Amino acid sequence: MKTIPFLLLLSTVCHAMGQRPEPAPVQTRSILVQGGTVHVGDGRLIMDGVVGFRNGRIDHVGNVATVTATYDTVIDARGMEVYPGLILPDATLGLGEIDQVNATMDEREAGDRTPEVRAIAAYNADSRIIPTVRRNGVLLAQICPRGGIISGTSSIVQLDAWGTSDATVRVDDGVHLVWPDRYDRNGWWAEPGPTVKAEANKREAILSELEDRFLRASAYAQRTHPDPVDVRSEALKGLFTGARTLFVHADEAIAIQEAVLFARRVGVQRMVLVGGYDAWRVGDLLRENKVPVILRRLHSLPLREDDDIDLPYRLPALMKAQGLTFCLGYSGGMERMGSRNLPFVAGTAAAYGLDPEEALRAVTFDAARILGISNDYGSLQEGLSATLFISRGNVLDMRTNDVVMAFIDGRALHLDGIQESLFERYRRHNAGPGH
Amino acid sequence: MVLVLCSLARAQDIAPVNGPQDRDVPVHAFLHATVHVDPTTALADATVIVTGDRITEVGRRVKVPAYAVRYDLTGAHIWPGVVEPFCDLGMKSSMQRSGKEKGAHHWNDAVHATTMAAALYAEDSVRARAFRAQGVGLVVTHLRDGIVQGSGAAVLLADRSPALDVLLPRASANFSLDKGTSKDPYPSSRMGAIALLRQTVLDARWYARQGSEQLRDIDLAALNDLLDLPLVFEAKDRNDVLRIASLCEELGLRPIVKGCGDAYARASEIAATGVPLLLPLDLPAPLDVTDPFEAMEVPLSDLKHWELAPHNAHILRDAGCTFAFTTSGSERPDALWPALRRVVLAGLDTATAMAALTTVPAELFGLDDQVGAIRPGMLADLIISTRHLLDHQDTILETWVAGRRFVQVDRNRPDVHGTFDLNLDARIYRLEVTGMGPTPRATVRNLTGDTARVKASVQLEGQRVGLAFEGRKLGIAGPVRLNGILHRDGAIWDGHGQMPDGRWIAWSALRQVGEAPERVRMGRDERTLDSLYALPPGDIWYPDMAFGSPRPQDTLTAIFRHATVWSNGPDGILRNMDVCVAGGRIKAVGRDLRIATLFPGRHPPLVEEIDATGKHLTCGIIDEHAHIAISGGVNESGEANSAEVRVGDVIDPDAIAIYRSLAGGVTTVQQLHGSANPIGGQSSLIKLRWGRDADGLRIADAPKFIKFALGENVKQSWSTRATRYPRTRMGVEQLMMDAFQQAREVQRSQDAYAALRPKERALTPAPRRDLRLEALAEVLRGERHITCHSYVQSEILMLLRLADSLGFHVNTFTHVLEGYKVAPELRAHGASASTFSDWWAYKFEVYEAIPYNAALMQEAGVNTAINSDDAEMERRLNQEAAKTMKYGGTTREKAWEMVTLGPARMLHLDQRMGSVEVGKDADLVLWTDDPLTIDAHVVMTLVDGVPYFDAERDKELRSAIVAERQRIIGRMLAEQRAGARVRKARVQREGQWHCESLGQRP
Repeated sequence: MKTIPFLLLLSTVCHAMGQRPEPAPVQTRSILVQGGTVHVGDGRLIMDGVVGFRNGRIDHVGNVATVTATYDTVIDARGMEVYPGLILPDATLGLGEIDQVNATMDEREAGDRTPEVRAIAAYNADSRIIPTVRRNGVLLAQICPRGGIISGTSSIVQLDAWGTSDATVRVDDGVHLVWPDRYDRNGWWAEPGPTVKAEANKREAILSELEDRFLRASAYAQRTHPDPVDVRSEALKGLFTGARTLFVHADEAIAIQEAVLFARRVGVQRMVLVGGYDAWRVGDLLRENKVPVILRRLHSLPLREDDDIDLPYRLPALMKAQGLTFCLGYSGGMERMGSRNLPFVAGTAAAYGLDPEEALRAVTFDAARILGISNDYGSLQEGLSATLFISRGNVLDMRTNDVVMAFIDGRALHLDGIQESLFERYRRHNAGPGH
Repeated sequence: MVLVLCSLARAQDIAPVNGPQDRDVPVHAFLHATVHVDPTTALADATVIVTGDRITEVGRRVKVPAYAVRYDLTGAHIWPGVVEPFCDLGMKSSMQRSGKEKGAHHWNDAVHATTMAAALYAEDSVRARAFRAQGVGLVVTHLRDGIVQGSGAAVLLADRSPALDVLLPRASANFSLDKGTSKDPYPSSRMGAIALLRQTVLDARWYARQGSEQLRDIDLAALNDLLDLPLVFEAKDRNDVLRIASLCEELGLRPIVKGCGDAYARASEIAATGVPLLLPLDLPAPLDVTDPFEAMEVPLSDLKHWELAPHNAHILRDAGCTFAFTTSGSERPDALWPALRRVVLAGLDTATAMAALTTVPAELFGLDDQVGAIRPGMLADLIISTRHLLDHQDTILETWVAGRRFVQVDRNRPDVHGTFDLNLDARIYRLEVTGMGPTPRATVRNLTGDTARVKASVQLEGQRVGLAFEGRKLGIAGPVRLNGILHRDGAIWDGHGQMPDGRWIAWSALRQVGEAPERVRMGRDERTLDSLYALPPGDIWYPDMAFGSPRPQDTLTAIFRHATVWSNGPDGILRNMDVCVAGGRIKAVGRDLRIATLFPGRHPPLVEEIDATGKHLTCGIIDEHAHIAISGGVNESGEANSAEVRVGDVIDPDAIAIYRSLAGGVTTVQQLHGSANPIGGQSSLIKLRWGRDADGLRIADAPKFIKFALGENVKQSWSTRATRYPRTRMGVEQLMMDAFQQAREVQRSQDAYAALRPKERALTPAPRRDLRLEALAEVLRGERHITCHSYVQSEILMLLRLADSLGFHVNTFTHVLEGYKVAPELRAHGASASTFSDWWAYKFEVYEAIPYNAALMQEAGVNTAINSDDAEMERRLNQEAAKTMKYGGTTREKAWEMVTLGPARMLHLDQRMGSVEVGKDADLVLWTDDPLTIDAHVVMTLVDGVPYFDAERDKELRSAIVAERQRIIGRMLAEQRAGARVRKARVQREGQWHCESLGQRP
């Protein structure tokens, strides 16, 4: 057994400067992270803790004194923080590279009702954005098609992969339904002003068509050998067996009421609400129907002019007060490159009423539970995947977030990428000759 | 004498007629009416004589010529006809312009100075009838299209030929800030519209001086003539009213502004401009607020406006404003009198109300010798009504226009309402008649005993009536059908009818004695509504929306004790310090400050002690790159060079973003033009003085800035079809080079003119003012600083070289995400850099953007700032600054400077702000924690010593918002219960602007 300072280990993996970091090789040597503050993810905190893992799985979590097995490598993490990998739900990483370069965009299919399109079919594991997100502790993500009413089918990936095969954690985990807007925008966006209620008839027609589609899909699911095969019904049928989750994107109280009642009526087995700005106002309904929530990006403006100016920041505390299960999302404008800030929205949750470990739980343990991957990810427990990272300071605060090592399934990641390489290159260049 | 009057009193039509001409000059005598000769004078039992189209006599002892047509108007009222000062009657068919006008017109298709309403006016009998039904006799109409709309005409609604009905062909000159049907790309924004108006007025004057020698522009020629007319500008809201007032003051013009019914919230500021207003009488209906979730979508600003809108007029009266009413904008043509009644119930006196419909608009358009009152010699525009016009049971019987009679309701029509004894086939039944119109509702029942009641249908035709009902429930074998004649104003009906068995019988109905006929509008409880309308409104808040307050905050005289002070000075971060603010400035910074020393003399002021133990005190955050609080578009994208547009023209002081940013510790922002064109518009520098008007936000004597932009936005790479030059970065360079060359020429000709001796100058016409090039000449002279939107290294270097070659300086590169690659060059030029903490990958030119940019530039000696460009990020700029510690290892002090002293320096405001040092503006933020940690909350934000944000007060404001909402919603529900019509809730979802945002309609 050999104890090495982590910096030494870091330098051994930094051979890919100037390029996209190479995906890390499978774990062959057992590793013990020792002496750090271990954030389990489910709310527990172990001071002076250890996390041991071999063959990609955690085999020990506890206080330093509890270690009995031996490990090939021991990482000295004293004075540091150890976290389970953060999980980014409701994301589009790998589905788009540069917003304004159309050729790089794969997030929105033509048509309004496209449950059949699968995010994993387009997921680009080589996106240059991914390493920058990983760099701040985000190691897993749910990749979702966007737009329309039924956007498509998402998959869950780990963020250090050669391609879609090894990236996939859970394929086709859910179907995304954007609840039809109750309001139509009016005027033009430079004078955004009044929005009027969506024309009642038009909206009723959409909702009734939606209900029809789901009821037919539910019946289709009963066929053992469907002939002809209907790709849209095939995509939806898992919703009625529980194989897939229905992710409904809605923010306003009435829309949430409608969506929950809809899912119940058409026989959807498992629903997750995405957005959920008003979810705390209809807590009873969500609790009764066991609907957890992926909260919209907390770093956003209040939806309504009259709302408390810090209402978006306080949503997690309000959800907690209602006894609701939730995790934190980052979708919206600039969502791909911005999602490296996921830890900081959790930090904001902590600054506005949540205990820091509860805030962490909303980007780890509860995110894994809501996405249905908690048997493998989301917390540091024996038997789970060794997907974790070490930060010099509180990872939820931008000032102290400093990820020095990270592991996915026990594989030690190459963290630095092109941005770090440019930083070093121009720091030297700008210092002038002789430096 | 009579002969002379006749020839005066009859409009002469020179058009030939088919057959003999109607040569008669009728004389009408209106007798025994209450005559309201003007808003303050009513003559009881008086007579009005009308000869031809004129009033010839008015009074109580008037001799009525024997040949007069006599009208006995006992009990009725006569009023001057209403003057509608703002409408587009008769212009509909001219609205379909087909592309650019042919001929020697102005280059911009939103300038229609040659348009004449008098030349376009076409009869619109439906709308004219609707106007007359309200008592309107004269309208000032114009073609509502474009920024310069041409002249409006005063038109009588006398239903004659336009040649006779147009009373004054050039009654007004009309303007707006909306380009209307113009297909020209410029202007695309409100600030562009204002800039176009400003330049066009200057050009018209130049055209009169000398311009006509160089080019022929019939619009500029026409505009010169228009400027002598009453100038009517259309405003979209109260802030527009103030914008128009200050634009006109700058141009030496005196406008009349058509407002929007929300002026009450800036009444004193608007009154101070002296601008007369045309106030719309379209009052918002109560909202459907039954479902509380639905009602959440209605912002308090809408609720408050609903409550205060009827009070607009009397608040403006009290502030000293002159105003006339207009029905323009009203969805329902018959809303005038009900709306005015509400306005009067709300507190406007009747005399002012009536004047605002008659004498005031007449005076505004120089027509007060013709219309607006009942005096001999004036046009016979009259209203005859049953009661006072503001009585809700009043009926307008007739409208007279230019001596022509338009019957609205037949004065002799019998009133059939009431309870009657119906004598039918030797039995008596009870008949009850209610409702309005030619088919009132009626029921028939037996006189005694049973409660059976059947519906009856009634048909009225003049003096004749038809009545039918099913008789079975009343003991008759089947249907009964009756025909009859009305007598005694409907009190007696009689005639013949046919019974179910086919027998013809005689019948009669007699109204019960003592039964007063009353017209009741169904389903409305008028008395309850009246008492609701008369309730006082809540306070006006500043601004009149959520988080506004009724009274301004006081300037603090205070000492913050034991704070950790982030001085941004040589001493860095100091613990346990006291900071004293007084008179809007930082008075002292030190340990254990003593009031007696700070304020010597016998009467020291009351000094508030604020315990800041454990808290951090910093200067306010300065956002070098913001687009908040801008109205009508952040981009004037219509031209590649729009240096003449001024963001300062369109400050929106009612933007909630101001308050939210204050709550994030921001005190100063540069409101930048967007980045849609290489040479954008002039910036505005404001402090976030929440609650003040636009002028109150401006930083006095602020340095001048202009936005430039490079790269993908300006070459419109988002479009595959755009043809605007430039399409490449190469074109950007040449476009700028060319613009500066032109600016040099402008400078030379102005210098030459200025150098003339006074005698020569008197003989030489002044050169044309070109506001676009003058702004660039200011850059060349070093009087205006450039903030240039930029991304990649090549374009940054291009502009640096261009600047060096032309001898100007680039003050700031903003965004500058590849600044880290050219940091030494930036430093060498002395340019500052204002960048994002971690944005990238949203377009190709930011694919090499790195979050280490700020740290690298600062390390290389470039004055660096972190900016927001985003209303959401703006309220977390402290966190964005903290990211420079994570990305690049900046120190705390240096990180903090990036959102305070750094931007202050690049805005040339560092003498006044950017640090906590004695003598600087008291723009201070008290934080619960180190502001660079995510846990830090703002306790208080001071601007000039005024606590515009205070976390404790914010809690009170939240409660106040809830209370105010509940109160107003209660009123709405009460009105709904009393039968008022409600409208669907409307939703406000704010759009966010970035510099990419194009000010174009989709």
